[in-house]
Amino acid sequence: MEEIKVKTIYKTLACAFVVVMLMMVVSPVTYGQKYASDPQFKVKLDFNRWHDVNELWDDMKRLEKAFPTFLKLGSVGKSHNGQEIMYMTINNPETGPELSKAAMYIDANIHGNEIQGSEICLYTIWYLMENYGRIDKVTQLVNDRVFYIFPTVNPDGHQYFMEGDGGGARSGHVPVDDDNDGLYDEDGPNDLNGNGVIEQIRVYVPGKGNMRISTRDNRIMEPVGFGETGDYIILGLEGFDDDGDGLVNEDGPGSYDPNRNWAIDWQPDYVQGGAMEFPFQLPEANAINKFLMAHPNIAGVQAYHNNGGMILRGPGAESMGEYPASDVKFYDELGKNGERILPFYRYIVIWSGLYTVHGGFIDWTSDGLGMISFSNELWNGRQYFTSPELQEQTKDPNSPISGQSGDFFFDDYLEFGDEYVDWKEFDHPDFGKVEMGGRWKKTRGRVPPRFMNEELAHRNMAFTLYQADEMPIMKMGGNKVEKIGNDVFRVWVEFINPKVAPTITAKAAQNNVVRPDLLTLEGNVDIISASWINDAKTYDYLNPITQEIDQHDLKRIMIRNGHPGKTTRTIQYLVKGSGKVTVEYDSVKGGTISTTFEVK
Amino acid sequence: MNKIVRSVIKSKQVMITITIIGMLIHASAVMSQDFSTYHNYDAMTRELKRLVSENKDIAKIESIGKTLEGRDLWVLTIANPEGVPMAERPAMFIGANFEGDHLIGSEISLSIINHLLKNYATDDAVKKSINDHVYYIIPRMNPDAAEGMFESIKTGRKSNMNEYDGDNDGRMDEDGPDDLNKDGYITMMRVKDKNGLYMIDKDEPRLMKKADPAKGESSGYAIYWEGIDNDKDGFINEDAKGGTDINRNFMHDYPYFKDGAGKHMVSENETRALMEWIIKHRNIAIMLNFGESDNLIVPPGSRGTLSSDKGIDQINIANESYAGAGKVGMVNTEVAGRFGMFRMGRGSQDQQTAQPTGRQRPVISAETTFNLADLEYFKKAGDIYKELTGIKTQPPLRDPKGAFFQYGYFQYGVLSFSTPGWGIDAAEEPTEERRRPAAGEERGGAPQTATSARGVRGAGSNSAMPTPGNSQVSGIDKNYLNWLDKNNITGFIDWQKYTHPELGEVEIGGFTPYEINNPPASKIVELGEAHAKFAVRLSGLYAKVKIAKTEVINHGGGLFRIKVEVENEGFLPTALNQGVTSRAVNPTMVQLGVKPETIISGNAKTNFFQALAGSGMRQKYEWLIKGKSGDKIELIVVAQKAGTDKVNITLK
Repeated sequence: MEEIKVKTIYKTLACAFVVVMLMMVVSPVTYGQKYASDPQFKVKLDFNRWHDVNELWDDMKRLEKAFPTFLKLGSVGKSHNGQEIMYMTINNPETGPELSKAAMYIDANIHGNEIQGSEICLYTIWYLMENYGRIDKVTQLVNDRVFYIFPTVNPDGHQYFMEGDGGGARSGHVPVDDDNDGLYDEDGPNDLNGNGVIEQIRVYVPGKGNMRISTRDNRIMEPVGFGETGDYIILGLEGFDDDGDGLVNEDGPGSYDPNRNWAIDWQPDYVQGGAMEFPFQLPEANAINKFLMAHPNIAGVQAYHNNGGMILRGPGAESMGEYPASDVKFYDELGKNGERILPFYRYIVIWSGLYTVHGGFIDWTSDGLGMISFSNELWNGRQYFTSPELQEQTKDPNSPISGQSGDFFFDDYLEFGDEYVDWKEFDHPDFGKVEMGGRWKKTRGRVPPRFMNEELAHRNMAFTLYQADEMPIMKMGGNKVEKIGNDVFRVWVEFINPKVAPTITAKAAQNNVVRPDLLTLEGNVDIISASWINDAKTYDYLNPITQEIDQHDLKRIMIRNGHPGKTTRTIQYLVKGSGKVTVEYDSVKGGTISTTFEVK
Repeated sequence: MNKIVRSVIKSKQVMITITIIGMLIHASAVMSQDFSTYHNYDAMTRELKRLVSENKDIAKIESIGKTLEGRDLWVLTIANPEGVPMAERPAMFIGANFEGDHLIGSEISLSIINHLLKNYATDDAVKKSINDHVYYIIPRMNPDAAEGMFESIKTGRKSNMNEYDGDNDGRMDEDGPDDLNKDGYITMMRVKDKNGLYMIDKDEPRLMKKADPAKGESSGYAIYWEGIDNDKDGFINEDAKGGTDINRNFMHDYPYFKDGAGKHMVSENETRALMEWIIKHRNIAIMLNFGESDNLIVPPGSRGTLSSDKGIDQINIANESYAGAGKVGMVNTEVAGRFGMFRMGRGSQDQQTAQPTGRQRPVISAETTFNLADLEYFKKAGDIYKELTGIKTQPPLRDPKGAFFQYGYFQYGVLSFSTPGWGIDAAEEPTEERRRPAAGEERGGAPQTATSARGVRGAGSNSAMPTPGNSQVSGIDKNYLNWLDKNNITGFIDWQKYTHPELGEVEIGGFTPYEINNPPASKIVELGEAHAKFAVRLSGLYAKVKIAKTEVINHGGGLFRIKVEVENEGFLPTALNQGVTSRAVNPTMVQLGVKPETIISGNAKTNFFQALAGSGMRQKYEWLIKGKSGDKIELIVVAQKAGTDKVNITLK
């Protein structure tokens, strides 16, 4: 892991902050006073501000410092612009090394403008740490699982969004020649008046325009009907012709899609726009993939996006076919409960519910790496007016909270006009006297209002922790030895996976991308036969005939499609000989368990 | 066979001799060196560096990256650096040895390099191609695998040495082939087996075929690759050392999770290095690849499909022997038990499934057949190829899933060829009879068969095992065997009895690796010369944009009309149809160097055309601009793969 360089000033600030925090925590005890408040947090973070990349990393460093036993900050490499791609590992070393426990991989912000996922990541680290040892469920999750949390996998896009006007930030920043003139990213929009917003430009032409100001609200522009006249013409977005080729804003930064650069169902650019030239061409995707391939213990994946209120699963394209039925079953269980955890979110399949995606990230993790993968589209516009009554009102065109009026109502009364940029006169280098404005700021629309972000973070975290909790975990059941004849014994050993997810998904088994579970028996006995008992409880009554395991080495049995969720399976060995035996069940994503007993 | 071995041993001495001779006699237009040998990596590298050092003014050698075992992947750039910047000249990419056991392409590439450098001074066509154009040549794309040809035991592995759990059993590379009879070759074993599906071919007892019970044929033989069941899992040679086959690791029609394809597209050092390099060399207009697929001896058929890819049946059959290894251990406890039927009811399943919302974009899928409008260019090249090389009959081939040349056409959008570089023509027999029709013509464009995807397997085993009993398509075993016989090539080792530690009495024999994909070394010089001429001839086909005509009309009042015609002087179009479809080839830009606001009417300041056919086709532009007499205006035409042109227009 690379050493993290901290700007000295931030380091000093962070140290000072920790000292202050310690005093706050320690002082009440010193004075022996009784407080009725909730316990103080060790690290105070704010979830009602948007953080740039530097501040995200700083917050993560503060967390790492405060919880050094569990947290380890790392980097998988550098982005195109040379920023570190940082991640936090949450692992309790006392409950075993990382690779021995099922892990949950959580990332966000692959599209640079989709910034609230970064906050959820930060919130998740913070919440798990602050509540470890206080809330039993949290303690259990941190003890049983490993978390790899990447607050932004597109730091260039995130920073560009925060520093700039919000446009062109979806993409990463590998230059692309959009207009084929041999120049790269040479003519993007320009923030001419320096107010941080790319506004619309309109020109006032009394009686000669094709747009007019709406009578409902003077902030709304509407096109005039046939035969009518308006007073305005909209010229386009703020900017000018940087490269003097006669076109305005035709080649902005990047303009590819980092979420189409993954190696499953990858399609060339003419089929899947923004795919780039080959999978993992992007340094960010390549670095993340290398990390994923080196961590086969990752069982679950969540990649946060915005927006629309969706819990998405693959496949991304119809041509990929539906998942095998046994996979659909557990995805449905997780997804449907997700809808209960996340009001206004729907659980849907990418291609059929949203749109077709070729070469998407969660399709790669699911089909190529055998990880159970979801992608939440954070924030739904219906969450502005949440009660059933208000929902009804938003449907009434005459109501002050329907359509565009509703947007202005919310901004006026709940955000005090913070998000809307009104029209102002401006002297344009090419067009002369114009007005600019009529735009929402970048922080309105796809991200929630700041004051609502903590709830969004908590609910989405809750869903992801639920998913993490339902990843497989193998447990030993009972075992039984029965003498059949001279020196021949029947041995039963029970294995339980109490969780929803299987140790190996059917998709992973189909593609042969996860190492099969291995069932080994050590001891001084010969195995005559091995077979699975479907239901040990009814065995005595119904005597189901079991199928013999047709493998050459019965002391090392492969279970290629793993152990299903919420299932107990019993292995029956017929052995010759006696003595101490050890039976071990080793699964890549569900842990390794074993039992030792006497055959006699 | 022995010839190759001997020539390899000989090669070191030969080269020393050559170097001495080369120093004494100044190399003339006639090839003075003995290239009739297969070079291992070090010998190849020495040869390349020598050629470059003797021709520094027009050749340079660079590495595009390193293999897992640390070998540099060399690219030679052959061009006269004086004149038009190289990036603006049409270029040819020549690549070979994507498949590890295909080395003839490396040798041909070396011959091409030698031919170009030696004849630069004396041959006008060669000179022109080096002065006006660029050759980028990568003779050995898969050197780690190619070294297998020079090892004491020849396995014929196609794959690099990246470790891969071929049967996904948690053990890496644990069951490869074993040279049981110590003859230095991994061949096959045939074993009497009541459950076997194969029988000895009565017409040619050296060959095996699938028994057809409908014809009253009884089987009685099983066929395996030579070796033992090292890991005692019941399968022989199902997980050998390595790796990924470089020519199965590219994006077009990628064989996901299949044999030799790697863990994902572009997963290997070699493939990534090439991709990163090639997307920075957009001036490449033609690709000439050597490998185990062909679109030159038999060009794509009238339906845009490639010629059939018949391999050797015996190999496909042997591959099937470990077919089940990647599937062992699938457990299904759901249906076991007396009441299994009742438990199968799963009524609640679909009611929960995520529901579509109906908003859909139209489905677009990637092209899988050659654009019909591009076919004539392939045909034209195929005709030249046959004329210059005389090759008319394809040697054993295979299905080109994930192959680089397919990427070259379908995604990079240029004329991209693949040829094995040799043929199995029998001079005394009518060639028409042996010539296999294109797949489209023969099988109605049926999808390529799964079994033909593999070719020689030997050591290169992997996951996604072949399906048992699937090799129904008749291979070219007999034709190939005849050719070996007629040319006195030891490419088949007769069956000989052997007592196998697990199977008991077996016979070991069959086609030898490397011979299947490479002609005898004695053919190299002839093939090299012919292909060098072919490459030079191809370079005469490039598209070339030219500002063919400019005219200025003064309308008075400061108003001028500029009329321009842009011509493609070359033979090829500035972009193939697939180049346009794939959006991989930039449109050609025509730009008038004026301020946009001075244009009163006509074309825009900056214009693009997608493609302009060759042989003198023209595209017209016209501008009405404000200016004054004596103003000089620059007009530029920039094509990605057809050069650039520039004129100054004076208003008067």
